[in-house]
Amino acid sequence: MISSLIISLKVLAIDVPLLLIIGVALGWILAKTEFKGKDLLDVLVILPIALPPSVLGLYLLMTLSHIPFIREAEVLFSFPAAALAPLFPSLPIMIQAARSGFSSVDRQLEQAARTLGDSELKIFWRITFPLSRLSIMAGLALASMRALGDFGVTLMIAGNIPGRTQTLPLFIYSNVEAMNFLEANIAALLLTILGIASLLIVKKLEGRHIELS
Amino acid sequence: MNCLEASFSKDLGSFSLRISFELGEEIAALFGPSGAGKSLTLKILAGLDRPKEGRIVLNGRVLYDSASSVFVKACQRRIGLVFQELALFPHMTALENVAYGLKGPNKWKIARQWLDRVKLEGLYDRMPNQLSGGQRQRVALARALAPKPDLLLLDEPFSALDGPMRRALRRELKKLSLESQTPTIYVTHDIEDVCSLASRVFLIRDGKTLASIDVDKLWDPHAQESIWHSLGWGTLIHGKIEEDGGSLYFKWDKGRLKVSCSRHLIGEASVFIHPNHVKLLYPDVPVDPELEANVIEGKIIEKIEINGSVRLYIKGSGIEWHAEYPGDSYLMLEIKEGQNVLFSIAPSKISLLTPCFNSVS
Repeated sequence: MISSLIISLKVLAIDVPLLLIIGVALGWILAKTEFKGKDLLDVLVILPIALPPSVLGLYLLMTLSHIPFIREAEVLFSFPAAALAPLFPSLPIMIQAARSGFSSVDRQLEQAARTLGDSELKIFWRITFPLSRLSIMAGLALASMRALGDFGVTLMIAGNIPGRTQTLPLFIYSNVEAMNFLEANIAALLLTILGIASLLIVKKLEGRHIELS
Repeated sequence: MNCLEASFSKDLGSFSLRISFELGEEIAALFGPSGAGKSLTLKILAGLDRPKEGRIVLNGRVLYDSASSVFVKACQRRIGLVFQELALFPHMTALENVAYGLKGPNKWKIARQWLDRVKLEGLYDRMPNQLSGGQRQRVALARALAPKPDLLLLDEPFSALDGPMRRALRRELKKLSLESQTPTIYVTHDIEDVCSLASRVFLIRDGKTLASIDVDKLWDPHAQESIWHSLGWGTLIHGKIEEDGGSLYFKWDKGRLKVSCSRHLIGEASVFIHPNHVKLLYPDVPVDPELEANVIEGKIIEKIEINGSVRLYIKGSGIEWHAEYPGDSYLMLEIKEGQNVLFSIAPSKISLLTPCFNSVS
């Protein structure tokens, strides 16, 4: 179980910064810009939530196995695949949270900053991001928990290899299959505690958001 | 010498904006009814909206020229803008708000000096939600003026304030604008704001500049007629202010209105009544004490419904009164043309125009 816990934590350490960077960038693009094909991007971004994890995993498996660079690097069924897999089902949560955070920032505040001499990048760092920070952090907590709990997509593209790709949810599955309920229950309890903690963080952040506004 | 020369147009579906004016080193009011295009004009000047064509030149610097495809971004225009909703940054203190547009090692010192100038000493660390409406207004004003803009724009700066607070801020704005020698344009639909602060007024209606009038000439009945006819909306009456039984009344040949003003103003005067301040009364309902003194009987000569509002032309006491209210108000009165109605105007809502107005406000 310890090795599964370490793998899960390593996955989280890689995915949390990626969720933050990609989620904030795409959330900002969807909230603040207008361009041709925005509706299509909107649908593509949310699609992983609408698809069963096995279908999403299958599509990823088919796509990644046809990319020569990925095939040669033997990414599939290895730790990099276990780290990559949870991003797909959890990114939509992060993007939607960042998008709604950015959309909730009063346009006039950004316009005021513009008349005070700030460039768009400075406005993002000084106004837009700080004011949507709580939404983004709440989204990050939820998306991280979704990533930590991913089962289907990880199983499809990384397999269930103990010590290499077996994360905590896969560990529970293997132990239940082997009728080893004690270890499965301990791992489940650990994930439940982490889930409750992240929800409490989200609740607290949402409370502060209401207070601020 | 003109600081600002602006002439531009913009089409927004059924609404088209055609603005043209010149401004010297002075305070000017952009005056007109709601929906005339006043706020859009400010946004275009500030560079927050792009016109279809035209030219804007500020102190010899071309900010926009459709012919040569020049468009200077808002962040490079050096134009301060105070929004109607103020747009103070809610996550920053009053001091941080004022220092926002400043650069260099002295920025905090300059920001503190500005807060002191607008009488907010000691409130540096207050967050915007810990300040009163008037204090927030002052922070917004200090924030816009601190970077020494070449032009200051204010969108309905007094709309959220009432009575003494409004008058105090008008005086402060005038002082600050003159001291900092910053040409200023502010949007208003209140004639009192125009008379007490501006030296020039640009009349705007339906997206077009109709006239540029020197405020000193506002007392001239011909200029008043011109404003009134230009705007075509609002009630303007010529008469005089008299004292009667300890109260002051504005009297004209066929009627009188109780007014609340200083005794200094006794004598010849005119009043302007905004259509939103003409209140219809229900015949069987006790009249609001504020409206009791000025009840007038009239006949509705025309009713027009526009954008969810109702405009009424009412004939009463020898005057054609203009009233406007939201379409879902007064439903029980079943208003129709030819109907007799009772209406009133609160004394505090009557704007007085007198030759000595500037000196007493």
